[in-house]
Amino acid sequence: MNRKRVRNAVFYIIITGGALLSTAPVLYMFSASLMRKQDIFGMPIRLIPPEVRWANYVDIFTLFDLHRYFLNSVFVAACVVVFNLMFSAMAGYSLAKGTYRGRRIVFYFILSTMMVPFTVIVIPLYILVRDLGWLDTYWALIVPAAMTPFGVFLMRQFIVGLPDDYLEAARIDGCSEVRLFFSIVLPLLKPALSALAIITFTGNWDSFLWPLISISIESLKTLPLGLARFVSAYGTEWHLLMSASVVSTLPLLLIFVVLQRRFIEGMSGLSGIK
Amino acid sequence: MLSYEQQRRLWSIIFVIPAVAFFGIFYVWPIIQTFWLSLHQWNIVSVPKYIGLSNYQNLFTSSQFINSFQVTTKYVFGSVIPVWIIALAVAVLFNREFRGKDMYIMLYYLPFVVSLTVWCVLWKIIYHPSFGVLTAVTDLFGFRNIRWLNDPRLVLAALIIPNIWKVMPANMVILLAGLGSIPKEYTEAAKIDGANSLRVFWHIILPLLKPVLLYVVIISTISAFQVFTPAYLMTRGGPGSATRVLPLFIYENGFQYLRMGLACAASMVLFMVLMAFSLLQLRFFGFGKEG
Repeated sequence: MNRKRVRNAVFYIIITGGALLSTAPVLYMFSASLMRKQDIFGMPIRLIPPEVRWANYVDIFTLFDLHRYFLNSVFVAACVVVFNLMFSAMAGYSLAKGTYRGRRIVFYFILSTMMVPFTVIVIPLYILVRDLGWLDTYWALIVPAAMTPFGVFLMRQFIVGLPDDYLEAARIDGCSEVRLFFSIVLPLLKPALSALAIITFTGNWDSFLWPLISISIESLKTLPLGLARFVSAYGTEWHLLMSASVVSTLPLLLIFVVLQRRFIEGMSGLSGIK
Repeated sequence: MLSYEQQRRLWSIIFVIPAVAFFGIFYVWPIIQTFWLSLHQWNIVSVPKYIGLSNYQNLFTSSQFINSFQVTTKYVFGSVIPVWIIALAVAVLFNREFRGKDMYIMLYYLPFVVSLTVWCVLWKIIYHPSFGVLTAVTDLFGFRNIRWLNDPRLVLAALIIPNIWKVMPANMVILLAGLGSIPKEYTEAAKIDGANSLRVFWHIILPLLKPVLLYVVIISTISAFQVFTPAYLMTRGGPGSATRVLPLFIYENGFQYLRMGLACAASMVLFMVLMAFSLLQLRFFGFGKEG
């Protein structure tokens, strides 16, 4: 009995140590976001603010216009999520339950595009978007991200598992295919849709290389670009930089805490394509 | 007038058309373009001039490209191998019921929730030569004046450490889900037969975990090869070219020096490497052998 208790204690010590280690940088970020400038640039190095300065969180909006970048990021991510859910569910339904010929070929075609890494196609994508006249518009940020092969794949796998009898019953009642999709299939997809929504939102929130290339005017820049600009323009205002970082992490943190279970399930199927 | 069956088929086709058009336009067409441009000399304004394989020839004789290739490879394996080992170890540790499990998973997962840009900016501050927290820690252990981001011998490690920190939890969670799906009866039975924990792990758990491991290995390698944000934000490829990873090489040549053809050739090389790598890994894990 005693040995078991010792083992248990050792187990908790190990995992608590690991948890401290993994959260340490984030805790420091939060702590530094409440410091005054001289607390960060001072010896000895402090981990806890000697005097809590919440005003940092006001300054980033009044001095730095953080809200502009923030709203851009929210708008773009929201549009991308809506398009992704709609088109992926439609394509997934068609690929899972359709009766036309060549269905498998279409599925493999979409699946194979998973092998195309974003870095490899970034130059032609830039040229395509330029020729469409979308540079420095929201279109550039939204349209190329409006679908991912992973999203279609996820939906298709989920819909394959839905019982056919259920759909047949509705068809016998004379339900049209479009109505069937919206009023019966979509509600059944809720778990998969929310997982895809979370993955798409977080992936888009992180996007850096593509906005860097396709957006050059200040008023359309998203948070990652805003932070990068902050670093070069106010490189020494670390306390403000850290508050801005905390604010730009908050939406993801919120989603994560509220939907923890689903987030982790969704992430279990995360693909490397962004 | 269409019959009910025909109508149904028609709608199915209409539903999949946006996806086919989208992936054709935004995935397949660009990759074809990348290849086509890699055979041309082009500065975005001029008319593309066909030069055959010259871009590839230039790449393989350019010390800059070879350096980028080596740096990227070191970065990838320096990151993913520790990530796999740590993620698997933590997943095994977590593969049991204990009080506060959900909370602990959440704490371990926290670095992955932080956006990559924020993470890079944060680590740049942590590494600061005079006021960085890590510098204070290394000073404490007697390593004076470590300049993580300015020392060519340390800088790659300085990019690898935050990456391991951030990526490990995502892989851990996938592996944990994989471990959870292995029926307890298998491991129990082996233990009753007198096998010790290590043997159970090696002969029973690992083989059953193979598909999940394969997924983690491929996805983490492919995404590590695409490293851009850390190199761009933390070092701009420096000092010298010590962290000029391939995606940064592609970005700089394409969008700063306007050598679009050369950048596309480098993209194709990256594409080939990733393809070869995924196929190699599939083979290594014995896919297709067992049917």
